[in-house]
Amino acid sequence: MSGAVSSDRLREAGTAAILAELAPLSLLSAEVRSRLTERARLEDVPPGQSLFDAGQPAHTLCAVIEGTLDVEVPSRGPAPAIIVTLGPGDFFGFECLLPSPSWRASRARAITNARILSLDGDDVNAALLLAEPPARADLAKEGTVSRRLFDALNDDQAAMSAGSAGAPNRRTAIQHSVNKLGNALTSPRLYLALIGFAIFFGLWQLSVDTLRLPRFKELPTLVAVVREWFSTNPDYGLSIFVGEYYSHILISLERVGLAFFLATMLGVPLGLSLGWSKKFREYIFPLFEILRPVPILAWVPLAIVMLPSDESAVIFLTFIAAFFATTLNTMLGVQSIDTSYIRAAYCLGASHKQVFRHVVVPGALPFIFTGLQIAVGIAWFSLVAAEMVSGQFGLGYVINTAYTKIQYPVIVIGMVTLGFVGYTTSALVRYVGRRLMAWRERELALSGVH
Amino acid sequence: MTIVTNRTFLSEKAGRAITAIVVSLVLWEIGSRSRTWLGVAIPGISAAPPPSAVVIAFLGVVFEISYWYSWYLSSLRVFGGFLIAMLLGIPLGIMLAMNRTFNGIVFPVFEVLRPIPPLAWVPLAIIFWPTQGLSIGFVTFLGAFFTIVINVLDGARSIDGRFYSAAQSMGASRWQVFRRVILPATIPSISVGAVVGMGITWEVVVAAEMISGSGSSMGRAGGGLGFFIWSSYLGGSYEQIIVGMISIGVAGYLCSSGIRMLSEASTPWLKRR
Repeated sequence: MSGAVSSDRLREAGTAAILAELAPLSLLSAEVRSRLTERARLEDVPPGQSLFDAGQPAHTLCAVIEGTLDVEVPSRGPAPAIIVTLGPGDFFGFECLLPSPSWRASRARAITNARILSLDGDDVNAALLLAEPPARADLAKEGTVSRRLFDALNDDQAAMSAGSAGAPNRRTAIQHSVNKLGNALTSPRLYLALIGFAIFFGLWQLSVDTLRLPRFKELPTLVAVVREWFSTNPDYGLSIFVGEYYSHILISLERVGLAFFLATMLGVPLGLSLGWSKKFREYIFPLFEILRPVPILAWVPLAIVMLPSDESAVIFLTFIAAFFATTLNTMLGVQSIDTSYIRAAYCLGASHKQVFRHVVVPGALPFIFTGLQIAVGIAWFSLVAAEMVSGQFGLGYVINTAYTKIQYPVIVIGMVTLGFVGYTTSALVRYVGRRLMAWRERELALSGVH
Repeated sequence: MTIVTNRTFLSEKAGRAITAIVVSLVLWEIGSRSRTWLGVAIPGISAAPPPSAVVIAFLGVVFEISYWYSWYLSSLRVFGGFLIAMLLGIPLGIMLAMNRTFNGIVFPVFEVLRPIPPLAWVPLAIIFWPTQGLSIGFVTFLGAFFTIVINVLDGARSIDGRFYSAAQSMGASRWQVFRRVILPATIPSISVGAVVGMGITWEVVVAAEMISGSGSSMGRAGGGLGFFIWSSYLGGSYEQIIVGMISIGVAGYLCSSGIRMLSEASTPWLKRR
């Protein structure tokens, strides 16, 4: 709103008349329209001045009443790129309909003297929910972007609850989490899950302990596992109160962390160059393809023979598993990039380096993160095997020694711990990926794929 | 014309591949013989047997029945585990996608068990199953099972809801909806799950054979290609380790391409025109 030169709050009758004439809004009921007029504003923008700039907070949905406006985005060239030129009756500034806080994606600049009607975004959202479906559909036709936004809004249960029209209804984060908690407690999912676990544990207890079915009776009982795990003085020396338990977890984490780090540091650049340079790919990729079908765990003896210590062999095995997944996915990511992006960048005068930095790397990022996520999973998978075969310490070692020492409850403790730690690390990678690729989530939401 | 240019292009690509492979084989040979040839042992690679020795070891082993018996045992376990995983995993995945109550009860337990690496099950499997072969087969089954279920579930869930509504409004029965809508739509994800699962089964079978083989002194009875590698390692014949690695690589590759071909044959409508 900073660019507005003269903005006067009209008498309600004047705005109402304009609203009644504007094509899609005329379909709204008079009652809903009158709510919209309460905070509607008319602004005159002289030629060359902008109504808003990219990056500013977006609060209003705008319509052109008179004159023409350009919607522009900044470009590397001397002049900004014009997305669309708007005339009387056109709506723009749909960003305000996204969940707040939202920002302007482009700049709106007047070409001729333009008169703009601005409606408060929250009011419009509320009005849309009250509107009859035909009016909603007609508004949606105004632009492809708006249509997707309206679809998203219709799906958004939260927006539905913002029914009190007129007053802005921005929910706070606390309200949101209270709502979520309430939903979780009232939905049947929680209780179904509890039933599921009850059945699982019940079957375990019944088959192993109560009925002592043949074969099953060899397995550790539920009670023995739980008692051992939470005992301050465990029979076999491993429980949540024993420091050794955590040192095993830490050692496994350290190994996976180091291997994962190395795999990312080497695999991502290698994958990028494999995808980027055809020559390099044709030389190196066949070697890769020959080595890849060999299961990681078949490397165990060779790794022990070739590497100086068992520790480095374990890390090597974990590394190589993660490395293949990372490299391959990165390469696929580069190849998945639409070549027209690359050509377009070259046409606009980008250098090799710029194309690589601004097109190839971001384009491959979604695949790279898929690869990293797979890599974490595979890393744990191989770490366990490597630790079981040739390890000192670590969770795989715990499981294997518990077996050979016939400390069966410890096996289950080790397994559950592994599952938990493994799940946590992959969730961490997924979280980082989501944070780094917020732009992609937004894109998916806009394209309606989500 | 196009044929000629096409051929030169192909040969250039193949030439590069062959160059790279030959160069790395030569480097490997030199590296592993560096102690005798160069007088300096290159760390790591000098401990590995040279490729020429691997070829000789392969020629020695290829006529032995026990080598092929290892192939047979490993394949048996892989296919046994894999087939059972498919037979149980596909219906389970579809049921998880179709029935909300069933999903609510089973899926959380499934999700808690899933992150446990299949190999961590080895000791419990050995305790539970009467023979070693069965316990290895069970672990192999677990490796493929989780992947297949998740893929089938995702595939069945991503079906456009309008397809169901359309089929139902045109009077399709439950079975027809399943047969004509759900099954064809999930076949692609079933085959993705199968290819990935097959890869995992080979990984798992090798490790399970190594772990259980090293844990007991059952000799050749444990069998399998994983045990072949492990016993070669214990026996100190390092060339045979590499023979075993290559054999497993070939076996895994053959299985994966077989499944890929099967899945392409079962989804002709996905073929790229």
